[in-house]
Amino acid sequence: MFEIKKSWVLILVLVLFTIAMIGCDQDTAAPTDEPVDEMEYEGDVLVGIMLPVTGAYSENGIDMQNAVLLAVEEINAAGGVLGHRIITTVGDDECDPAKATAAASKLVSEEVVAVVGGYCSGATLPTLNIYGDAGVPMVVAAANATSLVEENPGWTFMINSTGDMQAENAIVWFEMQGVETIGLIDDGSAFATDLKMLTKSQWEAKGKEVLTDDTVTVGEQDFSALVTSIIQASPDGIYWTAYHAEGALIVRQLREAGYEGVIIVADGTSAPAFIELAGEYAEGVFCTAPPFADLNPAAADFVENYRAKFNTNPGAYSGLTYDATYLLVDAMERAGSFDGSAIRDALAATDGFQGISGEVMFTDRNTLGRSNFVILVVQDGSWVFAE
Amino acid sequence: MTFWEVFLQQLFNGLLIGAFYGLVAIGYSMVYGIIKLLNFAHGDIYMTGAFTGLIMLGFISAGIANPWLAIVISLVLSMVLVGLFGVAIQRVAYRPMLKAPRLSILITALAVSMIIYNAVLLLTQGQARPFRTGLTGESFYLGALRLTETRVVLLVAALVLMFLLHMFITRTMYGKAMRAIALDRDTCQLMGINVYKIIAVTFFVGSSLAAAAGMFAGVYYGTVHFFMGFLIGLKAFTAAVIGGIGIIPGAMLGGLLLGLLESFATQIPGVGTVWKDVFSFVFLILFLIFKPTGILGRIESERM
Repeated sequence: MFEIKKSWVLILVLVLFTIAMIGCDQDTAAPTDEPVDEMEYEGDVLVGIMLPVTGAYSENGIDMQNAVLLAVEEINAAGGVLGHRIITTVGDDECDPAKATAAASKLVSEEVVAVVGGYCSGATLPTLNIYGDAGVPMVVAAANATSLVEENPGWTFMINSTGDMQAENAIVWFEMQGVETIGLIDDGSAFATDLKMLTKSQWEAKGKEVLTDDTVTVGEQDFSALVTSIIQASPDGIYWTAYHAEGALIVRQLREAGYEGVIIVADGTSAPAFIELAGEYAEGVFCTAPPFADLNPAAADFVENYRAKFNTNPGAYSGLTYDATYLLVDAMERAGSFDGSAIRDALAATDGFQGISGEVMFTDRNTLGRSNFVILVVQDGSWVFAE
Repeated sequence: MTFWEVFLQQLFNGLLIGAFYGLVAIGYSMVYGIIKLLNFAHGDIYMTGAFTGLIMLGFISAGIANPWLAIVISLVLSMVLVGLFGVAIQRVAYRPMLKAPRLSILITALAVSMIIYNAVLLLTQGQARPFRTGLTGESFYLGALRLTETRVVLLVAALVLMFLLHMFITRTMYGKAMRAIALDRDTCQLMGINVYKIIAVTFFVGSSLAAAAGMFAGVYYGTVHFFMGFLIGLKAFTAAVIGGIGIIPGAMLGGLLLGLLESFATQIPGVGTVWKDVFSFVFLILFLIFKPTGILGRIESERM
């Protein structure tokens, strides 16, 4: 009896160990050692990537990571930055604030010169001070909650439009569709709640009514009770401010229950997976989104190279992340050194940096000077610019 | 919508989600009844069932045009496979711990949950998968009640499964043995009952019901992901406690009650969707204070 017990325990330990190994392997995602022939570098410069490369939002995280890797490969092939080869290391935040602080501490302890990434606002928020205290500048490619602006210790630069610009876009679109009353739904995350409150206050400031204001639980699948209460109040339009996993379910259940009003979803739901999950129910859903690289003529080369390298289309934030990486390198060159505060000052002084998603300049709070958001609509199973 | 239309619609919403909770809660309750283990891996079994169903459906719908027939066949296959998976988990992880202190086996259950959850996370790269059934999801009205064919069939199917389980527990030799083991395991062993075999059967039945619920969720919601078992696991556990943990009709009743509570809570002004989970868990706490044994539980009642 004892022998058997021991052997089972041993097997269990082995299984756990294997899983732990697999987990570690994913976390440390090897530095990009692209074979670059006959290139002489003066040294290496380490750049951190903080993204959710595993977990429910890994699809976006990996699309963004790919964009960084593509940009780094191109920059290294062209001689690197200040004669140095860029190598990257990944901190996986899993879109979870607790995991994100661990990921940020890991990157700081590896002595990265700067960090690029930041998808989920909730996960990015607690890392701002970690980077700030360590004097590591960060370019945030996607996360855009107002709380990030408020908590920014000065080392973070956000190249995605902020929440209030997105709320404004949604409201303008609702008005163009003749919507008089709206319903709002978020998932309780920092970004979604923020966007919901901003939309609510801007909408009410126009003297119009918000009929329903709901928050769903992440991971839940059944929204039938919510749908029934929304249909009872029957707002003309609905704005879902969170991410695609629940977004697809809510849109599907709303349409199945016979809701015929205008549905707008926020940029967190702009992933192609939303259309795949919601199927035919996604048709006609609008989205306030960052400029998709594959819809943008200025990004044609990027899209082509991305497809050639990764055998897939770029995601919603690939273009912005690609820009973020180039912006960082541009700042390092302007600073003329890899010193954290010199890079930060160079980033702050950015004026008219031309990325594939548009021009970048920063306000005195390190946010993007003007909105880069567009309205998309699902037509025949893919996102296109709304007319 | 008038008050009554909303009431009826929410009643139906609550019954359907409650039936799902009930199916998962039964597994919690059966396992607790027989070996006094809170099987935290049960929510993950539900998730495994959904994915197994999706894979089966992928194979079967290639050969069978009728979507309902394909669903039923893959449901049965998935129930059998996941049932066996449950038995395997029991054999590997729980059986060696049966004589150990209760806390050890509880921790083992947590570990099993994490292993399954992370394995599926790795296999699916953490992405939600669409669950395509070929059903059209067209709706019709029954009086003022707006229904879809899928929802009605799933509710009926869930209730039929519960009824079959009830017959199994009360009318068969296996069921009798389960109830006996719940009362006194050592005496059963002395009476010549193969206790380990009955425990294995219990895990098989509990896991296949969770698999069925997982498959139903896939068919109904159209999406499956590695995370889907977590919240429903918590809710089903709550349902099992409300009904009286260890008592099977209690698990069914607790599930339905919790589903109804949640769906009506969204209608209460000031509670809404934001506080509906708080509302149901407050209800749970009140229940534990005033009737800790659950609706159908009595201190000395047989735990099965």
